[in-house]
Amino acid sequence: MLLIKSWKNGVRALALASAVSLAAGAAMAAPQRGGTLVVTTTPEPAIITNALSSAPTTAELATKIFDGLLEYDFDLNPKPSLAESWEISPDGKTITFKLRQGVVWHDGKPFTSADVQFSLMKVVKEYHPRGKGNLGPVTSIDAPDAHTVVLNLAHPYAPLMKGLSSLETPIVPKHVYEGTDFRNNPAVNNPIGTGPFKFAKWEKGNFIELQRNEKYWREGKPYLDRLIFRFIADSSTRAAGVERGEIDVATFGTINPVEMRRLEELPNISIAKGGYEAIAPVMMLELNTKRAPFDDKRVRQAVAYALDRNFITKNIWYGFGKPAVGPISSFVKGSGAFTDQGILKFDVKDRLDIANRLLDEAGLKRGANGMRTKIVHDVAPFGEDWRRMGEYIKQALARVGIEVELRNRDYPTFVREVHNKYDFDMTSTWSIGMADPILGVQRQTWSKNINPEVPFANVSQYSNPEVDKLWEAAQTEMDQAKRSQHFHKLQELLVADSPLIWLMEMDLVAVQNDKVQDLITSPLGVRGGLYDTWVKQ
Amino acid sequence: MWSSRAKYVLNRLIHGLPIIFAIVIANFFLIRLAPGDAAQVLAGEAGAASEEYMRQIRQQFGLDQPLYIQFISYMKNILMFDMGYSFRHGRDVSSLIFERVGATALLMFASMVISVGVGVLLGAVAAIKDRTILSNVIVIFSIISYATPLFWVGLMLIIVFSIHLGWFPTSGIATVGSTMTGWQYALDIAHHLVLPAVTLSFFYMALYTRLMRASMLETLGLDFIKTARAKGLSDRKIVSRHALRNAILPVLTMAGVQVSSMLGGSVIIESVFGWPGLGLLAFESLFARDLNLLLGIFFLSSILVVVTNAIVDVVYTIVDPRIELKGKLAHG
Repeated sequence: MLLIKSWKNGVRALALASAVSLAAGAAMAAPQRGGTLVVTTTPEPAIITNALSSAPTTAELATKIFDGLLEYDFDLNPKPSLAESWEISPDGKTITFKLRQGVVWHDGKPFTSADVQFSLMKVVKEYHPRGKGNLGPVTSIDAPDAHTVVLNLAHPYAPLMKGLSSLETPIVPKHVYEGTDFRNNPAVNNPIGTGPFKFAKWEKGNFIELQRNEKYWREGKPYLDRLIFRFIADSSTRAAGVERGEIDVATFGTINPVEMRRLEELPNISIAKGGYEAIAPVMMLELNTKRAPFDDKRVRQAVAYALDRNFITKNIWYGFGKPAVGPISSFVKGSGAFTDQGILKFDVKDRLDIANRLLDEAGLKRGANGMRTKIVHDVAPFGEDWRRMGEYIKQALARVGIEVELRNRDYPTFVREVHNKYDFDMTSTWSIGMADPILGVQRQTWSKNINPEVPFANVSQYSNPEVDKLWEAAQTEMDQAKRSQHFHKLQELLVADSPLIWLMEMDLVAVQNDKVQDLITSPLGVRGGLYDTWVKQ
Repeated sequence: MWSSRAKYVLNRLIHGLPIIFAIVIANFFLIRLAPGDAAQVLAGEAGAASEEYMRQIRQQFGLDQPLYIQFISYMKNILMFDMGYSFRHGRDVSSLIFERVGATALLMFASMVISVGVGVLLGAVAAIKDRTILSNVIVIFSIISYATPLFWVGLMLIIVFSIHLGWFPTSGIATVGSTMTGWQYALDIAHHLVLPAVTLSFFYMALYTRLMRASMLETLGLDFIKTARAKGLSDRKIVSRHALRNAILPVLTMAGVQVSSMLGGSVIIESVFGWPGLGLLAFESLFARDLNLLLGIFFLSSILVVVTNAIVDVVYTIVDPRIELKGKLAHG
């Protein structure tokens, strides 16, 4: 037995060594032109124009077809894309972009400042679910010439420069959309962009095919001839497709974490880490702060103490993430917004004793069966891993005397009961924090977002004037250091109050065949343009 | 002969009309009992939405209209065979359905042929060779395949025949992004069809085997078989000419009824094998609360069931001419 084990280790070391040398070789190899990349994602999107929808799979498709004004490096600093250069006025209220010349739409028409003006003001700001967050203070846009736009802001707005990628603010052709009902425009599902790939074919329920844009403005790119997105309903079948080499890339959520770990062991398949820095996803529990027992801060904190984030990360999500310390993900460390200093820590040695003490103080005494109170946990309808996490939460909370009933419902029912009626005690979810906390994180704890009409907002109905004031101050503050202070204070207040229990910073890894090269080259990862990606032939 | 048969079929179809009509009405109201609407799902998928966005979508979908107005306009449209518009897909319901009905029809037809063919064969063999090892093996095999969940069978076939042996592709209806045409393309589809069709036929095959065996055993004990034997006919002739024709009737009845339930079974098969058919479309539209599309699929399936039953009746008259006589008498 021992012999076998060490032999296995030997093989593994050898494999690792060869993998390292392979990787080094790959880094030196010049990209090859041509070939097809087959990606699987789920669910099949309803539309493929992300100016009108922020659904994750819509964005995965559309970011290949459309460009944004900017791109970002891994520290989330802006890089040129359709905008070649930019200048922010000293008072922060006007931003001038110089646009790239000679860019053409997929239908051959030239790209101009009128397209940018139209996309930002008429389409994204009005129709994109996050449009008001990204572009809210922009009051008007001037176009002094065909390749210059000037954004006029009501007040300085630091998050603006973080939300101009193809993911958040794609530029769409004015000549196709102007004067039409945007959502019913046939171009929504037969899109025309300036991006590296052109839309070719959509066989519903089967696949979408994109083709290389021969006239792409990044010369010589993209490397791939074709990009195909396949839709397969069953996760085991998707895994089988990856294993057999029919599928080159499987995006996050298409394959169960346990299967990902199994596939990773195969010689020709690996896990592609990175590429979610700009999305900064965090998993959390949302507690109904308007209803007993979670209207009491002590009970909320007790739950935060009772859950073992390390256990959840390691055993439920198979290590695809790391324990969260608060609402803001450490992925945005570069911007200075994140901190773990001065924040209440729940992963302490005597956490169960503290939880029990807090519950005693809250007046929830143990009854004859050892339980103090009973709550219902609405499990997010995102798959079996979420149900498994629900089962863990049930066990962990039973240990401190909170009896949990798990409720699993289908997606529309879940959204209506929990997010539109606020009829829940505790629910699980994940949220994208985005490159700036104002764009993503703010949504869940700003009292202006308590609105049962709008799902996935402040469903905890958390309302704290001090927190509101800090969010609003951070929106207009242009001084980086002062903004960071606001965010640090917010983290301190929110974690202590625990209207939400932040569990894990998620790694939205993809599974890839080793013939795929340079898959993750930006903080958007597979949600980027993939114009640097190529396949070894 | 043929004209009376045609009249008979026409009669049956006309009788089916009120049934279809009743189904359409019932579906319309039943489906609205499910909580949540399409706007909520779209907003939920978007991960964020403003109030304005929700209002826009509801207005666009006509979800802000009172129920009775929605009902009247739906009935008006359906009478003109207009199944409406799927806002989620941004397409006509009819175009969405007709694009995918072929894949499901192919899958159902293939598994029907396999399950009836193999089921009748195995059942007949088990009856003729009653109380032998072969018969016992067939019976046990049919019990196992009857009791095994379809999705599990599908996954096991994928693991064995796709991953380990590499004989068949894991999923899809054709090689994606290929430029094959003509026979090459047909062969490619057939190659992809094998595993899903075999999986779907598994359960029904077991059912038909049991049914055929029981029916065959009963028939073989009837007087006219004794008469045939007394006439000195060979065993082979007795089975093929006399017993088989009579014994097969219950199987046909069952197969006719099960066309509609196969549509349900194909939801599982289509999702396991990534087969772009109607079952999967129905399944997805339920979870997206895409009601127009769902109603369209229901409408089509109710027509399918009525038509299939008429077809089965005609097949009866071919297999057993006595039945047509009765039909003629009944309808004058």
